[in-house]
Amino acid sequence: MTLTEGKIGCVYQVERLQVKENVTRRLEALGVNEQTKITILNNKRNGSTIIRVRGTRLALGRLITDGIFIKEVQG
Amino acid sequence: MKAASDQKSITVGFVGNPNCGKTTLFNALTGASLKVANWPGVTVERVEGEAKYRSQRIKVIDLPGIYSLTSYSIEEKVSRRCVMGEEVDVIVNVVDASSLERNLYLTLQLLELGKPVILALNMMDIVEERGLEIDLHRLPEMLGGIPVVPVSARKRTGLEVLLHAVVHHSEEGLHSQVMFYSKGLEARIAKTEDALNKKYGKLPNARWMAIKELDFDEEITKNYPLDLPGVLDESYEKQIINEKYDYIEEIMEECMVNKEKKAASTERIDRWMTHRIWGVPIFLGILALVFFLTFTIGDFLKGYFETGLEWFSGQTLLLMQNIGAADWLVSLIVDGIIAGVGGILTFLPNIFILFLALAFLEDSGYMARVAYVMDDIMGRVGLSGKAFLPMVLGFGCTVPAVMATRGLESERDRRRTILITPFMSCSARLPVYVLFASVFFGNKAMFVAYSLYVIGVLMAIAVALVVDRLSPKKLENALLIELPEYKTPNARTIAIYVWEKIKDYLTKAGTTIFIASIVLWFVLNFNFSGMVTEVSDSFGAMLGHALVPILAPAGLGVWQIAVALISGLSAKEVVVSSCSVLFGISNINSAYGMTALSGVLGSQGFGPLNAYAFMLFCLLYTPCVAAIGTIRRETHSLKWTAGMVLFQLLLAWTAAVLVYQIGGLFL
Repeated sequence: MTLTEGKIGCVYQVERLQVKENVTRRLEALGVNEQTKITILNNKRNGSTIIRVRGTRLALGRLITDGIFIKEVQG
Repeated sequence: MKAASDQKSITVGFVGNPNCGKTTLFNALTGASLKVANWPGVTVERVEGEAKYRSQRIKVIDLPGIYSLTSYSIEEKVSRRCVMGEEVDVIVNVVDASSLERNLYLTLQLLELGKPVILALNMMDIVEERGLEIDLHRLPEMLGGIPVVPVSARKRTGLEVLLHAVVHHSEEGLHSQVMFYSKGLEARIAKTEDALNKKYGKLPNARWMAIKELDFDEEITKNYPLDLPGVLDESYEKQIINEKYDYIEEIMEECMVNKEKKAASTERIDRWMTHRIWGVPIFLGILALVFFLTFTIGDFLKGYFETGLEWFSGQTLLLMQNIGAADWLVSLIVDGIIAGVGGILTFLPNIFILFLALAFLEDSGYMARVAYVMDDIMGRVGLSGKAFLPMVLGFGCTVPAVMATRGLESERDRRRTILITPFMSCSARLPVYVLFASVFFGNKAMFVAYSLYVIGVLMAIAVALVVDRLSPKKLENALLIELPEYKTPNARTIAIYVWEKIKDYLTKAGTTIFIASIVLWFVLNFNFSGMVTEVSDSFGAMLGHALVPILAPAGLGVWQIAVALISGLSAKEVVVSSCSVLFGISNINSAYGMTALSGVLGSQGFGPLNAYAFMLFCLLYTPCVAAIGTIRRETHSLKWTAGMVLFQLLLAWTAAVLVYQIGGLFL
C-alpha cells in the first residue's frame, strides 16, 4: 500500500520510495528511509498527509505520498 | 596565544536545518534585527554581521537553512558554496535540540567537510519542558570530540561560551574522523580518495570529495571527473544516507534519555488546525479576525493621530503667516507636504495592528500549517501549498513576499507564484480601503474592505488556474514542508518584526511619499507658463483629463482620480496622500476630511459604486515600483516583468469596468 492509503493514527514502516530522484534524496535527507517507522497524524482527501518521523512532523503532497510504499506495523 | 592586535578576524558560518533558530542566534550575537519567524525558509540570502569576544573580532555569516549538503535547491547551493569556500574558518552548526535526530544528519555531513565544527545545541528549553535529557558528555564523544555548546538564542544564554569555543577552536586542529561506513564502502572511499589525490594533487578534504564522488554529486563530478571502473560503478548515495542514519540511531540510543516522553500539545492543536474539513474555515476565520482587529482597534487609535495632525497643520500655517512666508511656500508645506505625508501617518495604527497580527501568525508556527491546509486548493491550480506562504506574506508587503518565493523548488512554480502574489492586498493598499470604504460605505466599511481582500485571494487563484490551463507543464514538486512545534510567540521577536515594519512605513512616508507629495504639488500648481491660480490649468489636470476617456467606463472618469492612480505607482499609500493634495483636504482621514471628500466627489457623480470600482482597481493594478523592481530582480527578466505589469493594468481595468457597468444595472 502507499502512504496515501494510510489511516490516521496508525504506525507504518517504509518499504520503498518510488518518487522522482531528487525528491527521494530529499526525503532520505529528512530521515524517511527504507525501514523507517512513520506515524500518520493527519491526511486529506486529496492525498496530502502529515506524518511524524524521527521526532519531527512533515507535510507531504499527493505526488509524494503516492510514491511512498508502506506496510503496517505494531505501534 | 597571539597578541590581540595582530589577530586576524575569524569568520564563522552558521549552518543548520531550516527553522532551527540560526537567525535568532545571529541577531543575539551581532545585535542585528533580521526577521525571524517560526516556519522553515524565512532566511533566503546570506547575511553578514560582526560579534566580538574579548578583543577578538568575529565575522558571522547567517545562511539559509538546509537539510543536507547536496545541491538541489537554491538555499542548499548558497549555503554549501559558502561553507566550502576559504572564507569560512569555523562552522557553527546550529541544531534544534528538540529534533536532534533529524538535525544530526546535516551535522555528520559537515563533520566530513574537513573544517572545524562547533555544535550549538539550541532550544534546550523545549527539550527540558518535554522532560527529555541529552547526555552532553557522550554526545561530543560520538561526534569526534567537537565542542557541544547548549545555547538558548531566545533567552540569550550560552552565547559567551559559544564565542569562546569559536575563538579557541579556530586555533585547534581538526576533530578526529567521526563516522566509519561499512567495510565495502570504506574501501571504495579509500580508493577514490587515492585516485583524487593522484589526479588533482593533495586535496584538503579528499575524504569528503571521495564520498561526494560516490554520491554522484553533480558539482563534484563535473569539476573533478574521475574514471574508476569497479569503484565508481553506481551511485552509493542511498547507502551513504542510510548508514549515516544508522549511526544517528546509535547516537540517539546512547545520548537521549526519556525518549518516549513526548509532549503532544502540538499534535493536539494540529488535530484541529489541519483538520480535513475544518482546516480551511479555521484559516479563513483567523484571517477575518486579523482584519477585524486591524479595522476596529486601528480606528480606535486613529482619532488621537488626527487631532495631533490638525493641531500641527494649524500651528504651521499660523507660524508661516506670522513670519510672512511667501504664499507658494506656505502652500507647498501645508497643502503639499503636511497634507500628503501627515495624511499617511494617520493610518499608522491600522498598519501597526496588521503587522502585529501577522507577526503572531508567523511566530506561532501556524504559517507552515497554512501550506498544508491550502495544498488541495492550490493543487487544483497547479501549485503546491507551499506557494501559499509567499501569498500570506503578501498581505504585509509584496517585496518580501516575492523574495520568499525562493523557497519554492522550480522556476515554473516561482514565476507563477510571483505572478499572483501582488493580488494579495498589501498593507499599503489598506489606507485606500480604510478611507474610501469609510467615506462611501459608512458602517459597512469593514465588510467592503474585507470583500476586497477576499477578491484579491480569489483573483490570485483564478489567474493561477488560467495559467495552468494554458500551459501544459504540470506540477512536479509536491508539498514537502516540515511543521514546526507550536510555541508562544516571543515578545522580542514580535517587537523586532513590528518595529522594522513601522520603521519601513515611516521611512516611506519620509522619502517616497514626501517626494511624491512635492512632485504632485508641483504638477498641480504649475504649467508651461509658470504657477497657476486654478488647479484645472495645471500639468496634472492636463494629464488627468487625457486619461479620463479611458477610465470613464470604469466609473473613474474624474481627472483627480486618474492622477491619484498614476501617482500610486510610486507607493500605494500615495493614492491617499494624492487625494489630500488633489482635493485640497488637509486632514483627509478625519470625519471632517471624509465629509469634504465625499462632497467634492459626490458633486461629480462619484458614488459608492464608483468608489468600489476605484478600490478594486487599486487592488488589482500594477504594484508599486519597489515591488516591480524586486520582481524584475527575482525573475531576471525585464520582458516577463513588463508583460506582468501590462497584464495587471488590463485586468484591473476590465474588472473595474465590469463591476461598474454591471453594478450600474442594479443600483
